[in-house]
Amino acid sequence: MSGPQLREPLIEVKDLYVYFYTYAGIVKAIEDMTFTIYKGEKFCMVGETGCGKSVTSRALANIVPSPGRIVKGKVIYYRDGNPVNILELSEEQLREIRGKEIAYIVQDPSSALDPLYTIGYQIVETMIDHYTVKDWKEGYKRAVELLREVLMPDPEQRIRNYPHELSGGQRQRAVISIGLSNMPRLLIADEPTSSLDVTVQAQLLELLRRLVREHGLTLFLITHDMGVVAEMCDRVAVLYAGNIVELAPVDEIFKNPKHPYTMGLLRAVPNPQADIEKLEPIPGTIPNLIYPPPGCRFHPRCPFARDACKREKPPLVEVSPGHYVRCWLHAE
Amino acid sequence: MADIKRFLARRALTFIPTLIGVTFLAYIIAFAIPANPAQAWAGGIKANPEVVARIIREYHLNDPWYVQYYYFMKGILTNSIIDPRWGYPVMTYMLSRFPITFQLTLFALFFLIVLGIPLGIISALKKDSWIDALVRTWALVGVSVPIFWLGYIFIYIFFYQLGWINIAGIPYPKVHITGVPIIDALLSGEWNIVLENIKRFILPGFTLGFAGIGVIARLVRNSFLEAISSDYIYFARMRGLKYRRIMTHALRNALVPVVTVLGLQFGGLLGGAPITETVFSIPGMGRAMVDAIFSMDFPLLIAGTFLVAIIYVITNLIVDILYAVIDPRVRF
Repeated sequence: MSGPQLREPLIEVKDLYVYFYTYAGIVKAIEDMTFTIYKGEKFCMVGETGCGKSVTSRALANIVPSPGRIVKGKVIYYRDGNPVNILELSEEQLREIRGKEIAYIVQDPSSALDPLYTIGYQIVETMIDHYTVKDWKEGYKRAVELLREVLMPDPEQRIRNYPHELSGGQRQRAVISIGLSNMPRLLIADEPTSSLDVTVQAQLLELLRRLVREHGLTLFLITHDMGVVAEMCDRVAVLYAGNIVELAPVDEIFKNPKHPYTMGLLRAVPNPQADIEKLEPIPGTIPNLIYPPPGCRFHPRCPFARDACKREKPPLVEVSPGHYVRCWLHAE
Repeated sequence: MADIKRFLARRALTFIPTLIGVTFLAYIIAFAIPANPAQAWAGGIKANPEVVARIIREYHLNDPWYVQYYYFMKGILTNSIIDPRWGYPVMTYMLSRFPITFQLTLFALFFLIVLGIPLGIISALKKDSWIDALVRTWALVGVSVPIFWLGYIFIYIFFYQLGWINIAGIPYPKVHITGVPIIDALLSGEWNIVLENIKRFILPGFTLGFAGIGVIARLVRNSFLEAISSDYIYFARMRGLKYRRIMTHALRNALVPVVTVLGLQFGGLLGGAPITETVFSIPGMGRAMVDAIFSMDFPLLIAGTFLVAIIYVITNLIVDILYAVIDPRVRF
């Protein structure tokens, strides 16, 4: 469970800073973000709404939504063994990578699909524009196969349907087939099931797990659901207010959480791997990132906060092999 | 297909109250005018009382308004109302004037589409540039400037000062297929007649469409901006689609509301035709209606109103059908 044996990096994020330039001020959404996703692993990022999970995932293909801007950092992508910095590529080079090598599955399939085109068309155009199929005819055949693979009922009929004619689960299946259509090397699933009801969620997660296994994909999963983390991931990064506060193999996080935020998070949700009597919310609310708290961003809500926490930002340190924590309690 | 038949039947039924309402209003207004049309039609103050009496009998002018209206509508529908001034059946006379007005509105519509839509797109793509400011100003000025003033200014500049255009006569081609001069000339390949028609109609068409161009450009700008900032366009970028394909998606979505407004504008153009035709002395339906007002020729006036109403409801029917063709979410 502690990840693949061959630790060959696929993508390395180094010292990434993403700011949003809004009228109200500069939102410091991501600061000092460093992590690596290894080939073939299932990497998870977990955190509350607005903590920067989605923004981080978008930065991997340099497609941070406006008014966000990557102000600093590197995203090294190992393309056939050659490292390239995603942030230095031209728009056309990026286009070739997006959707083909790094593909996304988004959170809300109803607004992500163009309402005026059939889902078949939208699957095929994704392949046509990346030259992975010869022509539209072959594309449609491939689209039927893809839909069958994601367990869409009646795929031959469904390719002719418009998004509004499908159910939420079917639309998400369509979006997953778009993500898979070019057999990407990295599949980024941004809360792929949070807009669906629970039974469909379980089905789709199972499906994702099978697809990743069968096609040898690398999965970068974003979620706020610790249950999904436990079920799906090899390694997990816990985000708080734009910082990674803890990064560890999934078992470590559940059995041996180090950061007060992670511990709070685990007490606030039903923990599948530990018995807890009562769910406890974390006191306070997430900070305004235009004026982030000085020092450790979690200190206003932290029960163990000390003077150092208010003054200086703690570094991310390795407390045991593969287990990193950003906290003054563990820094010394 | 069965659906579209039912839709058309249903819509055709809604025509009836619309047409009755429009003609009824026009009739009541004509009826309420304290004038003696019979005297005027018979030749004014020195008219022969016998002729006046015959006219009163013929047109039921001494009957209550509902009896008059009944005979009038019956006469319109069977085309048996004779114009008191010209001696033709009024519908025949109006219909003979119709092709010219139709040609004028075609020119105006051409400007609406060919200038309005691209201007809107450019101003959306270059938001807050000089062209964007131009479009916004145009929309405001367009609806504020009266057509007759604009028409005379244009005549002064382009005819009197520059001499680029022609403002007398309508060049007809030798063949008569549709009755619309420029279409017939195009069909029979009489290119010099086409050119003469363009020279004759380009300025009136532009004048008539002037307000609409600004309105359409403004609308296209806003709906294009909305489309381009939508989730499906963002997802299209995440899928790595080519720029041109992304723009096609945005444009098609942006044009959905524009089609409706173009239909409504067509009605507005017909409404503006009387003034434009008078200013540019074009012998169309609008001009005939203005003349009818001056000579108290109410049968002709109401026949014209009836015809305009019919064209308007038919245009809206076409718009509704087009709407369903563009947007799959709309069903009959």
